[in-house]
Amino acid sequence: MSTHKKVPSWGKLQGWFVEKLMDHQGGISPVNNTLLNSEFPKDRPLQKQDYQAFLEAASRTMIRFKKPEHLIKMIVRTIDEQLKIMHTAVLLYKSEIASYILIDSKGTSGLKIPVGFVRLNGDSPLINIFTEKDSFFISETGILNYDDIICGLRNRDTLELQPDLYDKLLAIKKQMDLLKAVLCVPCYFKKDLLGILVLGEKINGEKFSREEMGFFVTLANDAAMAIANAQLIESLQQRVEEIKELYVKEHRIFMNTALALAAAIDARDPYTYGHTERVTGYCLAVAKELVGVPEVQGYKNFMETLTISASLHDVGKVGIPDYILSKNGRLTPEEFEEIKKHSIIGETILGPIKELSDVAKEVRHHQECYDGSGYPDGLAGNDIPLISRIISVTDAFDAMTSNRPYRKKRAPAEALKELKAKSGTQFDPLVVSAFLLAYQKGNVLGGQESSVLQSY
Amino acid sequence: MYKLLVVDDEHDVCDFVKTFFKERGFHVFTALNGDEALSITKRERPEMVLLDIKMKGMDGLAILKHIKEFDRTIRIIMISALNDQEKMYEAYKLGAVEYITKPLTLDYLEEAVGKNLKVKL
Repeated sequence: MSTHKKVPSWGKLQGWFVEKLMDHQGGISPVNNTLLNSEFPKDRPLQKQDYQAFLEAASRTMIRFKKPEHLIKMIVRTIDEQLKIMHTAVLLYKSEIASYILIDSKGTSGLKIPVGFVRLNGDSPLINIFTEKDSFFISETGILNYDDIICGLRNRDTLELQPDLYDKLLAIKKQMDLLKAVLCVPCYFKKDLLGILVLGEKINGEKFSREEMGFFVTLANDAAMAIANAQLIESLQQRVEEIKELYVKEHRIFMNTALALAAAIDARDPYTYGHTERVTGYCLAVAKELVGVPEVQGYKNFMETLTISASLHDVGKVGIPDYILSKNGRLTPEEFEEIKKHSIIGETILGPIKELSDVAKEVRHHQECYDGSGYPDGLAGNDIPLISRIISVTDAFDAMTSNRPYRKKRAPAEALKELKAKSGTQFDPLVVSAFLLAYQKGNVLGGQESSVLQSY
Repeated sequence: MYKLLVVDDEHDVCDFVKTFFKERGFHVFTALNGDEALSITKRERPEMVLLDIKMKGMDGLAILKHIKEFDRTIRIIMISALNDQEKMYEAYKLGAVEYITKPLTLDYLEEAVGKNLKVKL
């Protein structure tokens, strides 16, 4: 047997591998193409140094595989197609079932093992021999050779002096027989056995050369590294997904709690029933017309802050005595002073909630007037936060177009006239014009606003 | 010599399991679908059937039912890639002697076949 004769087949294998690495299959990054091209001139046969360089390039590329299964399938396919082996398979550790299972198997018909028909747990003899220290039957390359097991079994001393070892070897032989294995190459990452590359007999009956075994060991180690990487990325991605889901869930709970609070306010006061929901709808319609306004960009999440602020703008009414809220008739000046406290009470309620600190500010100022004549702080112009200014307009519109104990509701056109009349004094002209635009487009009373809330 | 019928719509599985049990002294038949499985059952009257639960066309549970209607003494082991409690319960109710979930160990499969051949039905 001359090793010389094998050189061409090795060159072919390498060439094939390079080709596979470059045809972008299985999630291989194209980044290495130029690298590979420059390292492997096509006009001369591959030399041994090329082979080394190739392995290095291959291992770098393997790291880019996103799914370990893809890499394993490619390795199995490569070995099967190029080395003419009766059977090639890879077992991989799956932590979910704490077992090594078959990921892929290729071979001449009848020898291919279907996926799902091999499962070795951590203490099965074939795994044990790799994981326990000082295994006598593992060669210095780390490979388990079927011949060595047979030698051990044939050695009379084994049976007589070490019956336990004999049984163990017998069990290993049985498992290797099942896998049609001649060589078992371990894939280690750090100290963990991630998997085993299983190689059957060569079709031509020859033994594997040292060079070939060296190749398998390198391949197995590189693959182990890639698999470990891919597994790490996979579990990281899973964590990210979980966190995302958790966030969405928490956020939904948060939004629903805010809306439930808003509904509770509405329910207390029969005259303002539906008021909060309508105001929120109007606010969102106005917001559509304000897209691109610089002040909007100043908010971290404008639409969300707007929705919650609008829903909770009257939350402070829980602190106002019932007799005032449901009074049938005009309020006395004292009672009106009491009512005016609701915006501060609202801020006091919402302020301690970290997520609602922006909202608390908007709630405090929703009764301010553009000319500074409002309450509680008498802020004017753009010192009043934008969302407060929006709520001020929409709140007034809904109040005017709804029945109150002390007056009948007004027609929308009349209310619009009022908004225009107080534009620049009570209301921000920008918001009023946005409201008018939204109204013209049918976005205010078009029936859409009632469904806006439900989208949250 | 015991007669064993392997039913699976994958060629590879049939071939592999056939080789495995042939080496262990069984007379093995294979079927890729329900119709084949039933005609072989009627012709050969195997003692044991290994039946994949998920197949195109007639599925494993339906085949199980037909075989049991034909001869209730035939022992049937279901093999499934899914750990589906409901299917498992259904299979046992229809008379399967064992329900094995993939990935399986061949040792266990061999043991299950051996053990259940001794069970009188």
